Amino acid sequence: MSTSELLRLAFSRLRRSRARAALTMLGIIIGVASVVALVGVGRGTTANITASLSSLGTNLLTVSPSGRGSTSGLTLEDATAIGQLDGVQAVAPEIQTQATVAASATNSTSTSVVGTSSAYAYVRAYEVWQGTFLSDVGVDQSLRLVVLGATVASDLGLGAEALGSTVTISGLPFEIVGILQAKGGSGFNDPDDQVYVPIGTVSKYFVGGGSVRTIGVSVVEGADMQAVRDGISEDLRIRHGIGSGDDDDFSIFDQAQLLEVTDSISGTLTLLLGGIASIALVVGGIGIMNIMLVSVRERTREIGIRKALGARSGDILSQFLVEALTLSVLGGLIGIAIGLAASFVIGQIAGWGFIFDPLTVIVATIFSLAVGVVFGVWPARQAAQLDPVVALRFE
Amino acid sequence: MNLLQLANVGRSYEMGSELVNALRGVSMTVNEGEFVAIVGPSGSGKSTLMNILGCLDRPTVGRYVIDGRDVGSLNDNDLASIRSRTIGFVFQNYSLLPGTSAVDNVATPLLYQGVPRRARQERAAAELDRLGLGARLGHEPTQMSGGEQQRVAIARALVTNPALLLADEPTGNLAARQGEEVIALFVELHRAGRTVVLITHNPEIAAVADRRVHLHDGTIVEMATAA
Repeated sequence: MSTSELLRLAFSRLRRSRARAALTMLGIIIGVASVVALVGVGRGTTANITASLSSLGTNLLTVSPSGRGSTSGLTLEDATAIGQLDGVQAVAPEIQTQATVAASATNSTSTSVVGTSSAYAYVRAYEVWQGTFLSDVGVDQSLRLVVLGATVASDLGLGAEALGSTVTISGLPFEIVGILQAKGGSGFNDPDDQVYVPIGTVSKYFVGGGSVRTIGVSVVEGADMQAVRDGISEDLRIRHGIGSGDDDDFSIFDQAQLLEVTDSISGTLTLLLGGIASIALVVGGIGIMNIMLVSVRERTREIGIRKALGARSGDILSQFLVEALTLSVLGGLIGIAIGLAASFVIGQIAGWGFIFDPLTVIVATIFSLAVGVVFGVWPARQAAQLDPVVALRFE
Repeated sequence: MNLLQLANVGRSYEMGSELVNALRGVSMTVNEGEFVAIVGPSGSGKSTLMNILGCLDRPTVGRYVIDGRDVGSLNDNDLASIRSRTIGFVFQNYSLLPGTSAVDNVATPLLYQGVPRRARQERAAAELDRLGLGARLGHEPTQMSGGEQQRVAIARALVTNPALLLADEPTGNLAARQGEEVIALFVELHRAGRTVVLITHNPEIAAVADRRVHLHDGTIVEMATAA
């Protein structure tokens, strides 16, 4: 029998028992819809994280001290030396301390004070909303200038009119030269909840010594990241007098590397979500098998008649198999539509938009087909193997 | 020409530990164009014989040749093919496919012959028309009387133009009038040259046949030719 004949038989059968067909498909619909929706959510989250990570700059290397205790470290001289290396566009050393920033006696907030260079905004891809970032002169002369993060500014109720006025940091007055654009939080150091002052100012007024927490390095566009890393590493090892067999006392962190790791983590997460949802799909498949078995029993006589009229076992097998497949694929298609709609809605609410992935649709369709085959074969074989004499006598 | 030839055909079943012989040593032939009635009380082996004649079942012993083919050497698909091309069945309880229109019921045997849909529908409609059911094409079994349903079943048996029309108690579920009409139809088909084998417990109905084969306890006890 041709496929179109089998489909016609299947559809006329499903039309005659619409309610049952709909209920049977429900399992597959729910299974496929949840797989599609959860995979969509997984991909949305991934895209979201990736986007916010790439906004930090993919040509950024971060050098930080490591090993031998927290006191060891990087110096401003290290930063300057790195700045001279090939492939390095700009460096932004960073010192950090905690302090109270106050606009008035009653209006204050406790936040991180970051001492850095004028290149910082460029290296970290920060946008200035009002005013300017720290100037070269301000940094060179360790003036008491401050740039406010967006959160700090709004906490203190300061806007464009505050440029040129002063806030106090741990009681010392600082002139506000700029306010940053909100960047959105990522990780422990929320760039919005910090204030930025010249690096020399911090060492001068707040923290003794020249110990640098991190050095941000902006690599020249198109330069070989690995070569630049190696250059920095070699230079620092010489400067720090590290023997050839000894470990580094610093580590170099690559933004692109972080992206890769995040990608692979959220890929695994997506797979996990999809895997959990596919349990629903299997349960839906068992529902189809159950109904098909009931159907074979109910239609034993019909099977006998068909065999008497000349149907071969293969004809009966394909009739019942195509019926199961029609249920599962139809359910799958409806499930895909619902799943896509759900991930669209979730994407809108969460704000990462809707990511349509044709692969999800193809995989979901193949999956529901497979469910139909796996769970439809047994009932169909039961039908095909019925003895016509016994089947015709069945009431 | 012999259409059907049975030589020492027997059929036994295992019922638990016992072996039941439903049919023993049955030998008979049916010629092309003949009208044969197989008569016997219930339990005489009529149904078993009908299943074997109809290639729904195989004999456990003996030889059955239909239209020149030895059933013993055929596999299940070959038997299905014989049922499809050589035999038209009419059952006691009509055995129409439920929820399926008269014309689709009649067209079903053609489906299994691989006839395209349009040709199937046309031939089925023509066959129903010939049996006076031209106005019932779209009716489902539940919308028709018993007599009409049985005529649909006969149309379905004839639509493939089979060599043998095999009827099992075709009047068993019908009122007397409708039963007579169905029997008259068989007589008419026989006159037109069709080979008919009719299985019945009713001697009156059997009387219309050319020849009667009496079964008792699984064996042929008498063969009588019409007076």
